[in-house]
Amino acid sequence: MSSKESCRNELRTAIRQLSDRCLYSASKWAAEQLVGIEQDPAKFTPSNTRFQRGSSSIRRRFRTNEINSTPPTGVAYVSTPVMEEDEAIHGDFYLLAKSYFDCREYRRAAHVLRDQTGKKSVFLRCYALYLAGEKRKEEETIELEGPLGKSDAVNRELVSVERELSTLSKNNMIDPFGLYLYGLVLKEKGNENLARKVLVESVNSYPWNWSAWSELQSLCTTVDILNSLNLSNHWMKEFFLASVYQELRMHNEALSKYENLQGTFTFSNYLQAQIGKTQYSLREFDQVEVIFEDLLRNDPYRVEDMDTYSNVLYTKEYFSALSYLAHRVIMTDKYRPESCCIIGNYYSLKGLHEKSVMYFRRALKLNKKYLSAWTLMGHEYVEMKNTPAAVDAYRRAVDINPRDYRAWYGLGQAYEMIGMPHYALHYFQKSVFFQPIDSRLWIAMAQCYESEQLHMLEEAIKCYKRAANCNDTEAIALHRLAELHRELGQPEEAAFYYKKDLERMEAEEREGPNTVEALTFLATHYKTQKRFEEAEVYCTRLLDYTGPERETAKSLLRGMRIAQSGFPSMDVEHFHP
Amino acid sequence: MAGVVKAPAPGAFAITPHKVSLCILVHTYASPSQISVPFPFSSVSQHNRLGLYLLALTKSCDDILEPKLDQLINQLREIGGLLDDWLTDHVTSRLSSLSAPDDLFNFFNELRETLGGPDSGVMDDDQVILDPNSNLGMFLRRCILAFNLLTFEGICHLLTNIGIYCKEAISSSSYEHRLDDSGNDLESLSEYENMDLNLVFKKINEEMEARKKATEQVSFHLHLPKDLSTLVEDVEVFADPKPEHNEKGGESSSYASGDLLRDVDPDGGVFLRTNWQIQGYLMEQADAIEKSSCGRHGSSFTFNAFELTLRQLQKLAPEFHRVHFLRYLNNLYHDEYFSALENLHRYFDYSAGTEGFDFVPPAGSNDFGRFEIALLCLGMMQFHFGHPKRALEVLTEAVLVSQQQCNDTCLAYTLAAICNLLSEIGFSTTSGILGSPFSPMTNVGTSLSVQQQLFVLLNGSLKKAESLKLKQLIAANNLAMAKFGLTHVQRPLLSFGPKISMKLRTCPIVVCKELRSGYHLISDFCCEGSTMTTDGAFSTAWLKNLQKPMGSLVMSQDNGSGNNSNPFLFFTQPSSIPGSVLQLVGSSYLHRATAWEMYGSAPLARVNALVYATCFADASSSSDAVVVHVKLIQHLAAFKGYKEAFAALKIAEEKFLCASKSRILILKLQLLHERALHRGHLKLAQQVCDELGVLASSVTSVDLELKTEASLRHARTLLAAKQFSQAAAVAHSLFCMCYKFNLQVENATVLLLLAEIHMKSGNAVVGLPYALASLSYCQSFNLDLLKASATLTLAELWLSLGSNHSKTALTLLHGAFPMILGHGGLELCARAYITEAKCYLSDPSFSVSDNPELVLDPLRQAADELQALEYHELMAEAFYLMAIVYGKLGQLQQREEAASSFKNHIVALDHPHDADDPFLS
Repeated sequence: MSSKESCRNELRTAIRQLSDRCLYSASKWAAEQLVGIEQDPAKFTPSNTRFQRGSSSIRRRFRTNEINSTPPTGVAYVSTPVMEEDEAIHGDFYLLAKSYFDCREYRRAAHVLRDQTGKKSVFLRCYALYLAGEKRKEEETIELEGPLGKSDAVNRELVSVERELSTLSKNNMIDPFGLYLYGLVLKEKGNENLARKVLVESVNSYPWNWSAWSELQSLCTTVDILNSLNLSNHWMKEFFLASVYQELRMHNEALSKYENLQGTFTFSNYLQAQIGKTQYSLREFDQVEVIFEDLLRNDPYRVEDMDTYSNVLYTKEYFSALSYLAHRVIMTDKYRPESCCIIGNYYSLKGLHEKSVMYFRRALKLNKKYLSAWTLMGHEYVEMKNTPAAVDAYRRAVDINPRDYRAWYGLGQAYEMIGMPHYALHYFQKSVFFQPIDSRLWIAMAQCYESEQLHMLEEAIKCYKRAANCNDTEAIALHRLAELHRELGQPEEAAFYYKKDLERMEAEEREGPNTVEALTFLATHYKTQKRFEEAEVYCTRLLDYTGPERETAKSLLRGMRIAQSGFPSMDVEHFHP
Repeated sequence: MAGVVKAPAPGAFAITPHKVSLCILVHTYASPSQISVPFPFSSVSQHNRLGLYLLALTKSCDDILEPKLDQLINQLREIGGLLDDWLTDHVTSRLSSLSAPDDLFNFFNELRETLGGPDSGVMDDDQVILDPNSNLGMFLRRCILAFNLLTFEGICHLLTNIGIYCKEAISSSSYEHRLDDSGNDLESLSEYENMDLNLVFKKINEEMEARKKATEQVSFHLHLPKDLSTLVEDVEVFADPKPEHNEKGGESSSYASGDLLRDVDPDGGVFLRTNWQIQGYLMEQADAIEKSSCGRHGSSFTFNAFELTLRQLQKLAPEFHRVHFLRYLNNLYHDEYFSALENLHRYFDYSAGTEGFDFVPPAGSNDFGRFEIALLCLGMMQFHFGHPKRALEVLTEAVLVSQQQCNDTCLAYTLAAICNLLSEIGFSTTSGILGSPFSPMTNVGTSLSVQQQLFVLLNGSLKKAESLKLKQLIAANNLAMAKFGLTHVQRPLLSFGPKISMKLRTCPIVVCKELRSGYHLISDFCCEGSTMTTDGAFSTAWLKNLQKPMGSLVMSQDNGSGNNSNPFLFFTQPSSIPGSVLQLVGSSYLHRATAWEMYGSAPLARVNALVYATCFADASSSSDAVVVHVKLIQHLAAFKGYKEAFAALKIAEEKFLCASKSRILILKLQLLHERALHRGHLKLAQQVCDELGVLASSVTSVDLELKTEASLRHARTLLAAKQFSQAAAVAHSLFCMCYKFNLQVENATVLLLLAEIHMKSGNAVVGLPYALASLSYCQSFNLDLLKASATLTLAELWLSLGSNHSKTALTLLHGAFPMILGHGGLELCARAYITEAKCYLSDPSFSVSDNPELVLDPLRQAADELQALEYHELMAEAFYLMAIVYGKLGQLQQREEAASSFKNHIVALDHPHDADDPFLS
């Protein structure tokens, strides 16, 4: 029995169990992965071998699988446990409650199950109550919205649900689904440590509930927390780890996990989308585009994660593709934050910033904590020269997630724009603190230091050095370093950076005014250093260019020849144009 | 959302259960009836009392949250007297009768009837009708309007909230003995309530009764939650609902935050006051933070307690950005650099500087934000944390941005801040910082010295402030000008050279004028109507006084008679003058004291310091209070001797415990040094002197004034040790430094010291020019006392030149006598007396036997005065002279007495002991 087959069996059972408990999004996720498994297990594709080379934990997992599980019962720890069903009498009530639940009549559902004691019934009752509270909370948030911001609406069912579940868990009368709900409630109440513990317990005893994993993921805000979790091995753990890595900006780790998983779940749209998102964070836009195009072909009505795709299209300035995407998502589901964000991106690309802001606003109305919408809206306000609004938007992004370096960077830019470079420095410093490997941030900070008001060139040089060290694609840093050193009267350092810049331009086969400038400086510099051979090389290269530099090179060469031939220079002034 | 709805509408007014109960009370107060005293009230004064109370309630801002029903009931109990029961019952029954939305509609309709029409002025006298334009009338109208604006959902919420509001009062009043459980109890109640809402509301009265009767039966139900919570071991157990934040420190804060989240649970029925009231509260708190910052009330204002309040406020009103600013202030004054910085940035990011500042021009004129204010605040923060260079950079940027944005007000404030910074940090460190960016302001060129730049800036700031009519800033600038005028010669800016220096003098008249203009400020504020927020604070104080038995301002009216036994109470009420203004006026007194100190009038200096200490102690910042104490103690030491000074110092040390201790420490060292010198304990003197020197160059920056003083004292110690050449060398280098940094007052002192050194080393001729130079300095700076002292030294110099100069010396001395005796300290007087005696004695034409008292009297006086100072050296001299005089007179017994005293002091000088010194550390 192949591992794929066992995954498939596990997922099939899990989907039934999950949807029986009305955990729809988890069951949706599981079903997606089920279909994502390659259909023909006999065929060994290259990806399969890659998978076998890969994660040892997965392999181990499946080895134990083969040993322990016997197909008919399959109650081993790893395979899908068959949950004991409630008695038949109560089963009828359960069916009624589930129907109510499916019609979103949560309170009615809970009421039907009021006297039931079976684990399944208890779970569904609590879950229904919880959802009823959530629904009411959302309504109240809108009802109570005051001029000073939202009045704090809370889920009023949390207390009673928590009390019931904690009693059950103390008496060991709780199943993994109950634990998941308990964790959810605890997290909502702010008791994160216990929530983590309960959720870990839940996923360890029933790993197929992706909702539980994602709740757990949202509670793993640092690597230390992640390492402290005591998780049993299961292939679901790989999904979890990948997603945590992605959130923690450990993109390469996330990517390798996802690629490993793709060995089994070759056709999983979820995996594909996640890989796309990770690649986007790594700024591999071409790959992302390919991935999402493929994804859209297979799953044309997908809205999830499409905002990332739109970001790529925006960066690459594909007007029509972006408009096509926007059209498609709006036909699919107009009131999704992602849809609004895509349209916002489209308008932004068209330069219609007011309209763009309107759509970002709508996205934020739908989800107040939609981080990228805040940041993107900030960008729009910057374009509209509405600095206070931009600052406000960025600040909200930063307060939602203080590690969002883009928003810090935006804040810095906004302040620099209104002539407050010193004030802006604070924000640039924050931004490079959270993302020290991005050369653009360092360059921005350096330019801030360089500004007329501050004129702190030493600090600017330090920043440019950092920028040059982290793969400065636009090659600004080296050139500026050279120039700054020259301005500060440090010719040795200037020559060093001009040379580096020159090498780089040669490697990338670029030419321009910078090349000429570098060559001119180097030629003059070596000449004053009396290293005539090197100077001659640069002068000769300069002769390939037209313009005044060519003349300079000529005169330099002439001067050197005179100096080398031992004649005292007659017309020194002439040599220095 | 961002950008569009920036500052919330100032009049944000939401109808809450507390306001409903106020409405009920107002309705009772002004029920439309035909008799002058409506039904429940028995007298007019009772009626009035309720009216006053309601007025105070609508304005008070003692907290961000509205009082709960039981608090209201307690206050009613105090105010109501006989009516207490009736009023309480009326309010609670009226509230609990509101069980359906329609009841609310009817209630507010009824309320409308209490308001008179627009022509209510022509009503009958004996009919109580609320004037719609009165405070209470406005309040009612706002409530009615707010209610009419509510959606149906809003009305439902109001109804729910009223239910919770009533229930809380019931549970806390009838189950007080089981307070621990009330939290759980409430939770279970609210859960119950959600199941079937209406039932609970309709039955609330019955339920209350039932609960009262059946306390025993329900106890099981009430305790159940507790049992549950003990089952859950992993859940944090909130055993102590109110942790002592100040004691537990950092650990408790994280703990408390969890607790707080619990507190803010809306099930608990907390409601924010209106926007104005919260603003008022925050303003009061801001004042309190500043005042308590340096330890005077340190214990009463803790970091965590206020932080909790702020967090709560932020949770309840996330768009109320002023919270961040208060948090910044809180962090600032508790020296939390990073969070202060973080909160400052956050506040300005959200508010763009357009919220909460009084001097922001009305919105609409500029939609680009007021980020220059952010820079101004940031600069002041950097300065507060001891980064003057950074602060100056930031303030420079602020100047540029305010100029770009044409924000003259901010520019004026920024300039004032820069001036303050420049004058505070001394001039050694700033040179080179004030560079080209200031050329727009000081377009005179950068060749100016820092003082000159400061002067130009001060003038600019003052002019800006005057043109913008910023009263406080004008006063502050006047003070700064006075301060500048005290210590710096106002030279013509461009013709700056040694040639014309003799024409230049400071002008005491200008200083006094500047100082006097500060007083106008207070009269301006007295005349003006007080602002909304201070009004609120006034009411709050009134409410608080309810709790005190003596605060029975209104109660005394109860007796009906004009019982004015407590008229002073009116004055103990907080005045309507803002604290900052009082502080400014107070510091003008402080400046006066300093000015008189320098000009040489000790009594006037003392009077001003005393005025400050008695009248402005409450409003003063603690650093100012320390200064005033230091001044008074110094005065004590000079005029009453060390014993009293040290006693006072001990009190001061206890009073100012933490932050401003350095000032006190310096004073202590100064006193110790002086006493050690007088007693001849030179080793100790040197040690203390070194300690002073260490204090002068701390980590943050060099305190030039202190440094000067330390080396001055060093020179003095050397002089006392008779190491003349070294003393002269130290004094000389000190003079060079003072000259370099333009410390003119110190120059005069150092010159005088040099003269003394040369005199003591026997080189009177060399000393003379120094004394004369010092005299001329004193003249140009109007340093009268120092001038008298210089004259005295001059006389001594003449005297030591030979007996034929004793006439000159005596004339000089007599010229200075009025000043010395009127204003000088003990030491100076004694020295003058001794010199006088010496003059007479050395005069060949003077015979002792003719007029012995002419010599003996001053000597005796000198001896008396020196006794307090324990100045052995001078005392020995006085007794020596006395012995000689008595010898000449042939009074042998007195001669022996004087001689033995002389011997005692010489011995004491040679063998100093400090057994009785409690202050040696």
